[in-house]
Amino acid sequence: MSIDQISEKQIKEYIDGILSGDRRILAKSITLIESTLKAHQEAARKILDRILPFTGKAVRLGITGLPGAGKSTFIESFGKMLTARGHRVAVLAVDPSSPRTGGSIMADKTRMEKLAVDPNAFIRPSASGGTLGGVARKTRETMLICEAAGFDWIIVETVGVGQSEVTVATMVDFFLVLMIAGAGDELQGIKKGVLELADALAINKADGDNIERAKAARQQYEIAFHLINPPTRIWTPPVLTCSALTMEGLDRILDVILTHRRKMTEHGELERKRKAQNLEWFWSLVREGLELWFFQDEEVKKNLMSLIKDIEEGTVSPTSAAEHILSRLRHISS
Amino acid sequence: MAEHKDMNKWRELAIKELKGKPLDTIFWQTPEGITVKPIYTWEDLEGLDFINTLSGMAPYLRGPTATMYTNQPWTIRQYAGFATAKESNEFYRKSLAAGQTGLSVAFDLATHRGYDSDHPRVAGDVGKAGVAIDSVEDMKILFDQIPLDKVSVSMTMNGAVLPILAGYIVAAEEQGVKQEQLSGTIQNDILKEFLTRNTYIYPPRPSMRIVSDVISYCSKHMPKYNTVSISGYHIMEAGANSVIEVAFTLADGKEYIRAALDAGLKIDDFAPRLSFFFGVGMNFFMEIAKLRAARYLWHKIVSEFNPQNPRSTVLRTHVQTSGWSLTEQDPYNNIIRTTIEALAAVLGGTQSLHTNSFDEAISLPTPFSARIARNTQLIIREESQVCHVVDPLGGSYYVEALTGAIIREAQKIMDEIESLGGMARAIETGMPKMLIEESAARRQARIDQGKDIIVGVNKYQIEEEVPVQVLEVPSTVREEQIARLKELKAKRDNEAVKRALEKITEVAEKGGNLLEVTIEAIRLRATVGEVSEAMEKVFGRYVAPQKLITGVYASEYGENGVIENIRQRTEAFKNKTGRRPRILITKMGQDGHDRGMKVVASAYADLGFDVDLSPMFQTPEEAAKMAVENDVHVVGVSSLAAGHKVLVPMLIEELKKMGGEDIIVIVGGIIPPPDYEFLYAHGVKGIYGPGTPITESATQVLKLLEEKYIP
Repeated sequence: MSIDQISEKQIKEYIDGILSGDRRILAKSITLIESTLKAHQEAARKILDRILPFTGKAVRLGITGLPGAGKSTFIESFGKMLTARGHRVAVLAVDPSSPRTGGSIMADKTRMEKLAVDPNAFIRPSASGGTLGGVARKTRETMLICEAAGFDWIIVETVGVGQSEVTVATMVDFFLVLMIAGAGDELQGIKKGVLELADALAINKADGDNIERAKAARQQYEIAFHLINPPTRIWTPPVLTCSALTMEGLDRILDVILTHRRKMTEHGELERKRKAQNLEWFWSLVREGLELWFFQDEEVKKNLMSLIKDIEEGTVSPTSAAEHILSRLRHISS
Repeated sequence: MAEHKDMNKWRELAIKELKGKPLDTIFWQTPEGITVKPIYTWEDLEGLDFINTLSGMAPYLRGPTATMYTNQPWTIRQYAGFATAKESNEFYRKSLAAGQTGLSVAFDLATHRGYDSDHPRVAGDVGKAGVAIDSVEDMKILFDQIPLDKVSVSMTMNGAVLPILAGYIVAAEEQGVKQEQLSGTIQNDILKEFLTRNTYIYPPRPSMRIVSDVISYCSKHMPKYNTVSISGYHIMEAGANSVIEVAFTLADGKEYIRAALDAGLKIDDFAPRLSFFFGVGMNFFMEIAKLRAARYLWHKIVSEFNPQNPRSTVLRTHVQTSGWSLTEQDPYNNIIRTTIEALAAVLGGTQSLHTNSFDEAISLPTPFSARIARNTQLIIREESQVCHVVDPLGGSYYVEALTGAIIREAQKIMDEIESLGGMARAIETGMPKMLIEESAARRQARIDQGKDIIVGVNKYQIEEEVPVQVLEVPSTVREEQIARLKELKAKRDNEAVKRALEKITEVAEKGGNLLEVTIEAIRLRATVGEVSEAMEKVFGRYVAPQKLITGVYASEYGENGVIENIRQRTEAFKNKTGRRPRILITKMGQDGHDRGMKVVASAYADLGFDVDLSPMFQTPEEAAKMAVENDVHVVGVSSLAAGHKVLVPMLIEELKKMGGEDIIVIVGGIIPPPDYEFLYAHGVKGIYGPGTPITESATQVLKLLEEKYIP
């Protein structure tokens, strides 16, 4: 990819490639989305606008769980089950770890070894770093491109610590939380807010001498889970057990996801959910854009430090300080 | 601790000789974290409970037998395997005639991983790094005219231990040699495969069951046979320091004891048949102390299980000189390195020894280099006169103190492993692997920076290339093996084989001794691949998840501008092209040596590259798919087992097919210089042999990228 502007002709090649399911071009389009160059991002936007009519048909599944819950093994087994049934599966990961001096090491595929080599699967590990907002934008756009390229299942994985699950939950149709039995107290530090978003909870590693413990844990979790996440008119979020190792219980999870989808579609909820997600996405982009614009403004940069000092020293109240800097901004923009 | 009465006076003298430099400049911090003082005295022995003990008696620190080499020198046991059973057999017979006293068989990677030569995943592996064995027919050729009741045979086999051991037993049987007459060793040390070398087949738990099935069968039927060779060698070669090597190896041993006890055996039934295998590197006195310390600690460990037979607590070991210490640059220097290491192994009291050939950093040994290696031992034995005294360094203040320090430090690590529930559990947590990799990354950084000197590599380099004769594995080996397999399958009773294989699957699932049923199947001419697959149906095939540390290389390297400079360039690349340089580091074929790949991956990340790591054992097609999907700029292939001439051109071909012809391919590892041209002609853009500082290869890769992407 050159650093020059990307021509209309090239953009057309990207679009044709994506729509015909060309893996190489799909991969390069994702690189455009991930690029920090303005020219690349602009090209990506143009591509997205034009492939939009071809998106939206996939099942979007979000998966979270604390480290050790067996997310990768789950995705490997679940993904293999889907491809065996004729589906095409794309796996994306949201991993907004803090930026460091060096680059990232991406070893995702070493944990999804069979799915990685499956011709009907596409796994794209993305370098970490950057803000959650940035990572979320890239994942959303990548998801759309994968849909246009003919993938009918999109699995978005996220580490179950921090804010990223909420972000993922607002971009998928079904949000699954993975847990393991006996790893400590009731809900293992998973935040209440995350459980509220869950469409189902699955207790993984229910195999070997762990089966009984998993079953016991299921009963425990069910009570707690339903207190946090009560049944609605359409959906009662279930608590399930499974083993990604033995494949036991995975077809049941698939059933649950498909049933959820059917019910949501019947009641018009899926469409409503996706529309709301699109609006939510729009607003978050606007908020981020405003913030970025604000902090990059020369006037703001010039005045901000002294204003902060004034607030700290108590010579100006926070209210009038905020009013002051925002009024300058209004002045600039007009 | 008390001090020598004249120590203050000594210090004054020393400071005078140092001409004003502070005294601590002559204290040495070893890679193990042990501080070595410039002088040791009687006072340093205070509190050590093993001083002035005797050989052949507890705690056996001074030697497992009373008389040691004064009565019987160590076994000269050279590890070798040429591509075919026939060539290997010729080599073994010549070696035995030339003074070697035991055999040690190296198998090719396809065999290690339980694949027959005709399996599509092993296109580049057949006959590489050892002999290809598909069935007992190959085994019979391997041992043709070698009396197995007299010559002890050591076999380096872990993954496919069942079909190979069964093949050896049946080959002997058809020679007329009974099982109880067989002497020798099977490595059968699966735990360290999960730590370092990755030539396992099944997941840890069924693998441990196979180990205990072998122990239990042999303890009944093969009383002279060593059932496990618990190996520290590979742990050291993976970059671990001596303390880590001792601690992990002995902790592995303890785990095997527990597994055998769980299988219903009594400690004295099998403990005397557990043997060890250590590496010996260039840190001369440390290595001597290491072997002494290991014997002391093993005695202590086994004693906890209340054995009645004193031999149960004795550590007997094989030693191999360090392959890692050999260099591609100025390769005849390796003869001298190996000599020093061999002497350390002898002074440390080994029971058998393999000395490396000087060309092992470049390729597999030639008959010439193998002869020099063997003669190194003969010269030490016959000419140096070191064999007349048991443990000649016993009583050296320094060596005894160092032995004590290793005991102390290794004990700490073993305690930590115990607190995690033993080695098998510890491996699941990833702790041991991380410790080894950290140690390896630190060592690499010290060498790259010139803190650790390696002659001919980072100091005293020579300009001219030293021509070395290289052994080439003929590419027809695989075809020959495939033809032989066809013939075998046409001749045998296929119905009977099928039933025998089903029996193996059944025993794998429901219990029973796997070696017993494997011997039956092998007798009927079942192949290595078929037997392995029969168990795979129940156990599955395992691929270890890769965990990686970052930051270690850069922190050990320290601040001196080199790292900062590369980081600035990767950052600049990102600013100009929209992302960091992205490299996929992969290993293709069945070569499981992943130390190099991991050290490089971790260091490249420190230098600002985005690094994708592939699973082990990729086919060229799989590696290409990953490169294309992840849209990397570069694929770095790590190759240490001679598969490069087949696999790298295949990779480049696959990349083209998938539209990834713009992806740069580089190769690192053991590449014989005559192959460089071949690889360049196929489109490889960079080749980095052992001893290339990572900072240098990274700089060259960056240059390639800058030329291509920043016009």
